[in-house]
Amino acid sequence: MASKIRQKVLVVDDEREIVDFLCNFLQRFGISVAKAKNAQEVFEKHKKDKPDYIFLDIGMPECDGLEVLKQLKKNNSKAKVIMITAKTDKNSLATAKKYGAIDYITKPLDLGELSKKIEDYIL
Amino acid sequence: MKTEYQKKLQIAARQTILIHRADTLIRIILRTIVQSLKVKHAGIFIYDKNKDEYVVKVSRGHCNFKIPTGFVKIKKDNPFVRYFTDKSINLTKEHILWDKILNYCKTPAVKKNEKIKNILEGVKTNLLFYQAKACIPGFFRDELVGILFLGEKNNKKKLDDDELRFLSVLASDVVMSLKNAWLIEDLNRQVELNKRLLLQTISALASSIEAKDKYTIGHTERVANYSLAIAIILRKHKKIEQWDKFFENLRIAALFHDIGKIGIPENILNKNTTLTVAEREVIMQHPAIGANILGHVEELREAIEGVKYHHEKYDGTGYPYHLKGQKIPLIASIISLADTFDALVSDRPYRKAISAQDAVEKIKKVRGSQFMPCVVDAFLQMYNNRIKFTDLTEKKAPWLIEGKTI
Repeated sequence: MASKIRQKVLVVDDEREIVDFLCNFLQRFGISVAKAKNAQEVFEKHKKDKPDYIFLDIGMPECDGLEVLKQLKKNNSKAKVIMITAKTDKNSLATAKKYGAIDYITKPLDLGELSKKIEDYIL
Repeated sequence: MKTEYQKKLQIAARQTILIHRADTLIRIILRTIVQSLKVKHAGIFIYDKNKDEYVVKVSRGHCNFKIPTGFVKIKKDNPFVRYFTDKSINLTKEHILWDKILNYCKTPAVKKNEKIKNILEGVKTNLLFYQAKACIPGFFRDELVGILFLGEKNNKKKLDDDELRFLSVLASDVVMSLKNAWLIEDLNRQVELNKRLLLQTISALASSIEAKDKYTIGHTERVANYSLAIAIILRKHKKIEQWDKFFENLRIAALFHDIGKIGIPENILNKNTTLTVAEREVIMQHPAIGANILGHVEELREAIEGVKYHHEKYDGTGYPYHLKGQKIPLIASIISLADTFDALVSDRPYRKAISAQDAVEKIKKVRGSQFMPCVVDAFLQMYNNRIKFTDLTEKKAPWLIEGKTI
């Protein structure tokens, strides 16, 4: 049933190139995408587009991904969140899990592994 | 057509020589590829030996397909890497081409061989991931250093043999310049490491003197810091040849200046009553003993002069060699003053410390008799201009950050 509905993913990173690249990759799987580059945009787009999934960068300058995740859960967001992180920092990953993130991907990422996660979770 | 690529190759080759930074060269080469072959995008995986994986370092192109630098990696078991490195794959290693891979997959030989079939299927998937129509390997001997990947041409035509040759040459250019850059990085790191190791060894040795002579704890390090501060000022007024080398030798000599005390009996060193003439004779040998200990190390020749003559006086009344005036090496004169100053402001077995200001006054009085005039002038300038000798019981001369020069 779920597979018939076109899934929507919100991609969040402060680096424009990364957002563009990930969106381009997701679209090739027939997934529709929305983009955000900071916390404020996440909440706006979250309200407007109601994404099923969020790819959320942990290391953003002004308001970091963990804080955004916390806020989303506070607002009873239904979106499933996958963190993007530069290093396998055990503490922040544990925190992310505590706040309800379902998984994470590490930069630099392997497109094979990414596509497997897309298949496992989204498609 | 052919001559056009040859010309471009010549330009690229010239750039390889002119440009020393590998990443700049790679960027230029990828731009050349995108422009002259008119492909939609191009990128390169470069081997990272610390992580043992290949990372996309540079990517060029339009149509929304540009991989952010360092954002994507492939591991060594990735089909691209396996295709080029697995010896059991008996297909062309010159390149991977989308159409050729499709054809290979249809041959009976491949269909029968499960392993090769899997790798080729993996190659196909990866070509799709990277929207690539071709991959060109960059080898250094047997080692796969980089993999170029290219999107399709704007006019949708296939790459011809000339173009593929052009790409192979560029790939090997990239590899050569990477190898060079890595080599130079390694060399520099090694040199730095050796230097640091030498200084640490010297510090460790120097502190062995302090273990023996309990009144001089922190003394060697402070003398080194005062000496360097004096030298920094001195440099503004005096021409010092090979300044960096001088500075390095001065630091070493200052740390080692009392190393000869290792050869002096402890009962003399730590005696708190007046020394006998014979005992004084023994102590006065420590600069010579120090020079002898270090004498075997050829690289320390200039530094040894600093150790050997640091108790000589400008008027010739010092010890143990009674050198006079300009015969005393500058390096030794600097250490001599720094040593005296620190001794004056520290407690000794036979007397109490005096204040920094009193010590400065004492030093002024012996300008030209005990100390070389230019060294005293530099010391005074250092003292008057920028330094408050607030707390000389502190281990370090606090205004000097290690290794910092003005």
